Amino acid sequence: MTLLRVEHVDKSYGDEEVLHDVSFEMQRQDVEVIVGPSGSGKSTLLRCVNRLTEIDDGAIYLDGEEIHALDENELRRRVGMVFQDFNLFAHRTARGNVTLGLRQVLGMPREEAEATADDYLERVGLADQAESYPAELSGGQQQRVGIARALAMEPELILFDEPTSALDPELIGEVLSVMRDLADEGTTMLCVTHEMGFARSAASRITFLDDGRIVERGPPETLFEDPEHERTRAFLGELAGIQ
Amino acid sequence: MTTTDVDQTAVGELPGRRRLAVGAVGVVFWAWLLARWASHNTLLDRLFTALGAPNLVQSELGVRQREPWLPAEPFQAASDGVADVAASLGPASVLLEWLAWLFDLAAFATTIGPQLAAGAFVTVYLTVLSMLLGLLLAVPLSVARVYGGPVLSRISLAYTELIRGTPLLAQLFFLYFGLPLAGFIDSFGFVGSGGVPRAAVFVAIVGFTINSSAYQSEYIRAALQSVDPGQLTAARSIGLSKLQGIRYVVLPQGLRFAIPGWTNEFVYLIKYSSLAAFITVPELFRRARNIGSDTFQFTDVYVIVALFYLALVLTTALAMGKLEQAVAIPGLGRGADRD
Amino acid sequence: MDPVLLQASDWQFVLENWQFLLLGTVVTVLLTATSLGLGFLTGFPAGAIEVYGSGRLQAAVSTAGVVLRGTPIVVLIVLFFFGLPLPRLGTVPLLEVDLKAFVAATLALGLRSAAYQAQVFRGAIQSIGEGQMEAARSIGMSERQAIQHVIFPQAIRRSIPGFQNEFTIVLKDTSVAFAIGLAELLTRAEQLYLQPGRDTAVMEVLIAISAVYFVLTFTTNRTLDYLNEVYAVPGGNE
Repeated sequence: MTLLRVEHVDKSYGDEEVLHDVSFEMQRQDVEVIVGPSGSGKSTLLRCVNRLTEIDDGAIYLDGEEIHALDENELRRRVGMVFQDFNLFAHRTARGNVTLGLRQVLGMPREEAEATADDYLERVGLADQAESYPAELSGGQQQRVGIARALAMEPELILFDEPTSALDPELIGEVLSVMRDLADEGTTMLCVTHEMGFARSAASRITFLDDGRIVERGPPETLFEDPEHERTRAFLGELAGIQ
Repeated sequence: MTTTDVDQTAVGELPGRRRLAVGAVGVVFWAWLLARWASHNTLLDRLFTALGAPNLVQSELGVRQREPWLPAEPFQAASDGVADVAASLGPASVLLEWLAWLFDLAAFATTIGPQLAAGAFVTVYLTVLSMLLGLLLAVPLSVARVYGGPVLSRISLAYTELIRGTPLLAQLFFLYFGLPLAGFIDSFGFVGSGGVPRAAVFVAIVGFTINSSAYQSEYIRAALQSVDPGQLTAARSIGLSKLQGIRYVVLPQGLRFAIPGWTNEFVYLIKYSSLAAFITVPELFRRARNIGSDTFQFTDVYVIVALFYLALVLTTALAMGKLEQAVAIPGLGRGADRD
Repeated sequence: MDPVLLQASDWQFVLENWQFLLLGTVVTVLLTATSLGLGFLTGFPAGAIEVYGSGRLQAAVSTAGVVLRGTPIVVLIVLFFFGLPLPRLGTVPLLEVDLKAFVAATLALGLRSAAYQAQVFRGAIQSIGEGQMEAARSIGMSERQAIQHVIFPQAIRRSIPGFQNEFTIVLKDTSVAFAIGLAELLTRAEQLYLQPGRDTAVMEVLIAISAVYFVLTFTTNRTLDYLNEVYAVPGGNE
């Protein structure tokens, strides 16, 4: 069943065209990984889906509804987001980060919100850090709180915007393992990442975006083993070489 | 006017040991002030009269009739004694003459203490009320300035620039002598009797609230702008509206960063509330001026009143420092320390 | 109470007396200039003493600073006027300025400003990284030379926004010299509307002089902003 349908999306910043005629579909429980060189429009595409950025042309459907017909706060409740630099609410504890949306957006009573928050913190392995403030947590722990914050809203789709790029190498593993668990449990995820190991093992499909256009899209085996385009091969080969 | 008063500290740091001394003197000073206020408070008088102790609190006593609790005589005697010794020593006794003057000052201070305490009461409630009312205006002003569209932010900018670009004393004159505000307030009947202050006091509160709101909004604006924009993005990403994001995420952080600036403004207002004297408000400075005209001891009374203001200002700065520590969040630096 | 505010005849009255108010403006500007000058000349060394001084001198300077910053300007002005043994100095003709009052106001506004300027300068010195001192010492400069040739020049440039702020504060606070009857702008404004039969012109006179203050602060600040941009060290203000 189609959850997300992106149709002929264009987006420019001034004269610079960032996305050109981008179209693709995601089914429920899909894990879609978008790869591409920096400046290729990956993050912009993600932000168009929850309308942190508005598209110029085209259409995006969530579960059959055009997202611009939805209230933007309602849309964002249904589409979670995990940020590259975490963006945890600096004045709230780990638990407080998760409860804010539950209380203010979903209108959950305090005790229920706190219990829910603790459940999600446990799922990302941080039950013992519920009282810690962001500055007291490592980068990997902060990002896991970020994931719990998004998960707690029970979104239909979660956007991951380079969730491990700001982390020290030794902290990447703990975040990826949480993401892998989510994928296994059937969470629908749209991820921008350079982690090829994760892409290869967890993705249902990989999209290679370059210069604002989709160059190639397919299951990981095809893209890694037998890509159609030379550019895809070169890019993935280079990435694999770094890692 | 792109610069703001943001990076100045209110009064500055006292050397380490003196902080302790100021703290100790501050506690004694405030204990005395609070006791003085209580002993002439209308509400407490009614309460204790009802409880069967009609003479404990005396609110009906005119300010000039109030008796000091410390006798002036010992200080006066000490002063006279030292002065006699100084006189017998001839011109080489400058230090002793100073000492005699200090005792003289202490004797004078005990005599005029009750009147100054009454003035300090007006000063304190003028300042506190105006700060709080000013804050109520300043938060929407600063939010409009940072997040409002071109129209709202310009209105907010024009307001703050106009208020900050003209002297407070001119603003007070405008409100009191220019606008028929005092007459309007007087028309409410209850003003000026039964423990309710005179119209001039209300005009002063209006003036200080307006003035203070402009300065406070500058501090809060700077603090809001120092909050990482990613915070609002994250708030929006979980479905909070823009106003909710500002209310629950940006303001709680920004207002904490604004505390040092807020301390500055608090101290500023304690000092500048003295200008209310010129629109007849019987606050601390006006009491001192009146005592000066009665006794012609202008220098002495102004030295004593300066010490009163210093005590108010320094204890406020210390207390605000404590407040800042109390609401601090791990890893969230003070606005001034952020890079 | 007069129901008609802002009458044309009252504006006419303000216009007729423009020379009278101009003399007050001159006094206001002069008082601002002398006070800021005194503030700079004493505040600058005081700030340096707070950073590099030691012992009694430093403690005395920082305590004096706290006292000056913690006392209302009106109290300082009346205290200097009544408390200092200033001789009667007579009156300047035309401006009708009592020199004794002018000196007392300059001392009060100037020394208070010095206390704030010292903090600005101190903060600027402390904001300059240790590396600058180390680099200066590493090429063989003495500490004194390093302070004089490396730290101070940078610190003064970084102080400009703070000094600019002081200008606005001092200019507005010259109006407090009203307390000792100095014939500056606000005092002259009061003299105008206290004339018999002119009590309807209070608003008009006060709006007019507020506009003068506003124009003075606004234009000077914009000019200083411009100068600050022109003379800034590229990338050197962070």
